[in-house]
Amino acid sequence: MRLCFPVAIALAACAVAAAALTPVLAAVRPPKLQYEITTLPNGLRVVLSEDHSTPIVHVAVWYHVGSKNERPGRTGFAHLFEHMMFKGSKNVEPDAHTSIVSSVGGRSNAYTTEDVTVFWQTLPAQYLPMALWLEADRMATLRVDDIAFRREREVVKEERRMRIENQPYGRLSEIIYDHAFTTHPYKHPTIGSMADLEAASIADVRDFHGAYYVPENATAVIVGDFDGAQALQLATQYFGRVPKAGRRVPGDIPTEPPMKSGRRAVVEEGWPLPAVVVAYHVTYDGHPDSYPLHITSKILSDGQSARISRELIYNRRLCLSAFGSGNITEHPNLFFAVCIVQPGQTPEAAEKALIGEFEKLKTEGVSAHELQRAQNQFARDYILSRETNEDKAMHLAHAAVIHNDITTADGEFDIFMKTTVADVQRVAKTYFNESNRVVLHVLPRETGR
Amino acid sequence: MSNAQRPTPNAQPVRCQSLWKLGVGVLGVVLCVSAASAQLERTSDGRFVFWPAESPPRPLQARSVKFPPYEVRMLPNGLQVITVLHHEQPAVSMRLLVRAGSVQDPPGKVGVASLAASLLDQGTVTRSAQAIAENIDFIGGALATGSGSDLTFVNVVVMEDSFDVGMNLLADVARNPAFAAEEIERQKQQAISSLQVSGNDPDWVASVLFERLVYGFHPYGLPNSGTPETLSAITRGDLQQFHRRYFVPNNMILAIVGDVTSEQAFAAAERAFGEWPPAEVPPVTVVEPPPLTRRIVIVDKPDAVQTEIRIGQLAIPRKHDDYMAFDLAVKILGGEGANRLHRVLRSERGLTYGAQADTEARKQAGHVVAETDTRTDTTGEALRLMVEEFSRLQRDRVSQNELSDAQAYLAGSFPLTIETPGDIAAQVLNVVFYDLPVEEIGTFRERVQAVRPDDIQRVARQYVRPDRLSIVLVGNAAAFVPQLQRLGFTDVEVIPIEELDLMSATLKRDTRRADSFGPFGPSGPFGRVRSGRLTHGQTQGNPRVNVPKGRKNASGLSNGRLVIERRIKSVTFKTRIDEKLVDQPL
Repeated sequence: MRLCFPVAIALAACAVAAAALTPVLAAVRPPKLQYEITTLPNGLRVVLSEDHSTPIVHVAVWYHVGSKNERPGRTGFAHLFEHMMFKGSKNVEPDAHTSIVSSVGGRSNAYTTEDVTVFWQTLPAQYLPMALWLEADRMATLRVDDIAFRREREVVKEERRMRIENQPYGRLSEIIYDHAFTTHPYKHPTIGSMADLEAASIADVRDFHGAYYVPENATAVIVGDFDGAQALQLATQYFGRVPKAGRRVPGDIPTEPPMKSGRRAVVEEGWPLPAVVVAYHVTYDGHPDSYPLHITSKILSDGQSARISRELIYNRRLCLSAFGSGNITEHPNLFFAVCIVQPGQTPEAAEKALIGEFEKLKTEGVSAHELQRAQNQFARDYILSRETNEDKAMHLAHAAVIHNDITTADGEFDIFMKTTVADVQRVAKTYFNESNRVVLHVLPRETGR
Repeated sequence: MSNAQRPTPNAQPVRCQSLWKLGVGVLGVVLCVSAASAQLERTSDGRFVFWPAESPPRPLQARSVKFPPYEVRMLPNGLQVITVLHHEQPAVSMRLLVRAGSVQDPPGKVGVASLAASLLDQGTVTRSAQAIAENIDFIGGALATGSGSDLTFVNVVVMEDSFDVGMNLLADVARNPAFAAEEIERQKQQAISSLQVSGNDPDWVASVLFERLVYGFHPYGLPNSGTPETLSAITRGDLQQFHRRYFVPNNMILAIVGDVTSEQAFAAAERAFGEWPPAEVPPVTVVEPPPLTRRIVIVDKPDAVQTEIRIGQLAIPRKHDDYMAFDLAVKILGGEGANRLHRVLRSERGLTYGAQADTEARKQAGHVVAETDTRTDTTGEALRLMVEEFSRLQRDRVSQNELSDAQAYLAGSFPLTIETPGDIAAQVLNVVFYDLPVEEIGTFRERVQAVRPDDIQRVARQYVRPDRLSIVLVGNAAAFVPQLQRLGFTDVEVIPIEELDLMSATLKRDTRRADSFGPFGPSGPFGRVRSGRLTHGQTQGNPRVNVPKGRKNASGLSNGRLVIERRIKSVTFKTRIDEKLVDQPL
């Protein structure tokens, strides 16, 4: 769910608000996105959205494959494969994609999530044909070279060391998901494990490209300064010649069985301060309950006046940093709260306080004032996250790929604005229960040099 | 449309000649093969496809690129006001810059500017901290404060119907902070706990120690968030004095950006700040950065799986005639469009996820820094290769092609740097803040293209000193120091991470236990170690580091705020324009 990232501001905190004194204020409505969506004969979807304010264009290709599509023993492969897409195709030399784009003043990159793999470039507008040509070339004719594969695997292992293993709290997400899931591949991190990365082979690369990197599984989104008819003609020209796979894209992913009772665990890591996690299994992106859950994230931790910020950081000084929010994705995922425990405070107190916040949502609900604040914050996020072509492409593609309904890119605004305090309380009662809860204490490891 | 469609005229191969002009000449060999017709190609899963051999298609007609309109005015009290109007989204952002940061910290009180900035929104004389938070959150706005070495900022963003509310709030937190005792205590605790976390992060430790080596006791070399000791010593009076001295309208720049009219913006600025009287700003005197000296400092973190590497030296300040040429030279070493370090370390050898070099040019001075991280057992090799790239840049003339690639990116990406009103405002703020001629924005591309290989050679010879580099490595010292010695890096200092003290002349905390045995016995595993030996104990100690902007967008604790990110990006590129102005929130 793209619209739900909070504006990145350091969380300090704040105490009780004079709710009754503040007038009710309706959210400012963001302008609607203008777009066209077309499906080419080979199954590739093309989304076009013109924006002539700056002479640049953004081209993103979303493949509907992420780490949840990985088979056991091959965790991290979707992302490793993403790296291989920069290793050349019939008309493009290894590592040349990036330099061709930068040589015209453009930027390019890619990322992998649990659900999708996204390749993008932003360029001066006149280079739109080049971007489409580059993406089509690697979709159809990726080069698969064993030496390049082995070298890139080392790069990805360094990436894992850098992002996950070598910095404080880098493994926190990995620890949470490993304890919370038993079956569904959300259990493992997108970056994968070292052992699985090492086990991956060149044959896996070929299979993965053949299975998932096909037009039927791809959505190209083009946003920026172009003529719509010409852009569609160019997209058709370059992507249209990629052959369709003609067979079903694999999509059998095991479902996570409901928890029978709550779980808890205590683990040790070489981090300076303890971390406490309280997590609940929740629903998927687009489910009616997902909207009140997003509202709940805001009420708990968006801004210094949000409940967890105010209570746990500011008033009680229990946590150096804390939040509670839903990671709502294509398949059912988690809503979790984290507290990095201040020196002098105990993990037990932090756990009690975090659970207390969830219980309060169930027993007392939220106020109309808090709901209105969350809705105003939503409107802000809608507006501020639609400034760039890249932002707009992300919203359109997310709606088209994850919801399989591009109208949700704008349509969700009304759903959020119509959410009621009763919805928020009902959803809290549905999910924030002891039998559905995972509690973790991650304690500093005694090192002793 | 047929899948095997033949290329249309638009897809005809361009000639090698025009490819060179595009700056992709180095790739041209294969791209320029004849491409008259489609060939049968086998796909990865064994099917066959007709796919032409061809070069990238010709560009469409180029659009004209103009820097969007903006206005700069000065109020009678000296406040500089910049407006950039933009009406696509119904939002307005305001950025207030104060020309004072950690450089203005009183002697021995490192952290005053940073603590003062963190307290601006924690209560004014008429509003409590909670009232400010409730106010900005409820209207769907956002407010952030912070500081760097040369500046302090307050950023506010609101929806257009709350413009006046936002402006009043901005003026109140900038002009009337209460610095209440209780809030000071709370922010000190936050800052000290954050230091405990960042002091364990090799990335941050490497960055702050590197700056300490380059700048010595010049304020740019000191941790601007303070240390537990200096923070504890800061009084309410220190904060009030800092605010009284430097928060005056003639020492500030205000940018108003977004969905307002010019009249509305200037009228609001006048209303909120107009009657604030100007005052003389006391000058500061600081010590000079030390002369360039070769120094290799290793911070030992035995549980590290990677080594963080920083290599660089003092260079030139932002306002300098050689800035453009020097910046391009550094981009050839490790920036977008070129990046020898990335090629040598990542593409050719798979030693790292990312390697880059940056010009970090500030008001008073500047430096060049190259950085990477690599696994412990390739630390020596990575260090050798990076030092060699500094030598090569200084020794060998760059080719026209390599320079052209760097220029093509820098000049060509200009339209990408004016996409949002915030981007535009950041560029104007940059020239105003650094006292550069405002025409520089409009002539940017011409100035980039005017640089010649001779210019690069001249600045490289003049400023780059490969024999006098400051080098920091943070990692598992016992495992990689022998590698360094085999490669001739013998003159190294090793400091256990918990004994690092940036405020000390020796960089080491005074432990009074210097003779204790390390885990490797009394002599340690190292031959010629100049100072510092691995010692037991000191689990209480935390190195004194500031909280610089993390270069990594990953999970972890950033500025005390937990970031959990599960998505993984593949190629690293920084999109920074100049110094830190653009990196600020909002």
